[in-house]
Amino acid sequence: MDAFDLDVRRHVYRSVAENGRPPTTGETAAGLGVGATEIADAYQRLHDAHALVLFPDTTDVWMANPFCFAPTPHTVTAGGRVWTGTCAWDALGIPAALHIDASIASACACCGEPVALEVRDGELVEGGELLVHILVPARRWWDDIGFT
Amino acid sequence: MVYLRSEEHLRRWLDDNDHREPGATLTTPKMNELSLRWWGTRLDPAWRPRPPDESQAILDGLDLTGEFWSLS
Repeated sequence: MDAFDLDVRRHVYRSVAENGRPPTTGETAAGLGVGATEIADAYQRLHDAHALVLFPDTTDVWMANPFCFAPTPHTVTAGGRVWTGTCAWDALGIPAALHIDASIASACACCGEPVALEVRDGELVEGGELLVHILVPARRWWDDIGFT
Repeated sequence: MVYLRSEEHLRRWLDDNDHREPGATLTTPKMNELSLRWWGTRLDPAWRPRPPDESQAILDGLDLTGEFWSLS
């Protein structure tokens, strides 16, 4: 990953943290003072390198893991915003990435009953009785990241 | 990767979904610890792609070992 792509990725993640959503290619182009086509190419390279995930056949960011920009069952309230976690792991990843406290609202995959977790100062203080199940072996996580 | 309320709910969920082979199950405290180690640097300005052996070391450090947890 070259310095330009690292700059683009840094801009995307900073925008996510500051605005709660990923920047469009146009916004990143304006922010970095380069052409939108160069940014679109960089987004694609970052996608190919698993540093971002784009919606299929677009340059719109679907995931800047652990943050997700499509609906999932995993809602994370932290830092005055409501975020979406890609999965049960990523939901816990949001407070870890932001280094802030968080409340996670999700549902049991079996019965659909709501489940709640709380992270304070990095410690799980509510929801410690719950389990997380991972179906896909680690070497295949990126085969279909949406399913994983 | 999903949350489940108990082992019983896990068994029922697996049974109700085409008897899928079970993968790995973690307690949420352990998953939180993994999250801290895995995602904690994601927003660092100096972030660089993490080499696979470093990612594997994070898993190993939490005793997440064996075929299921092998990244390669």
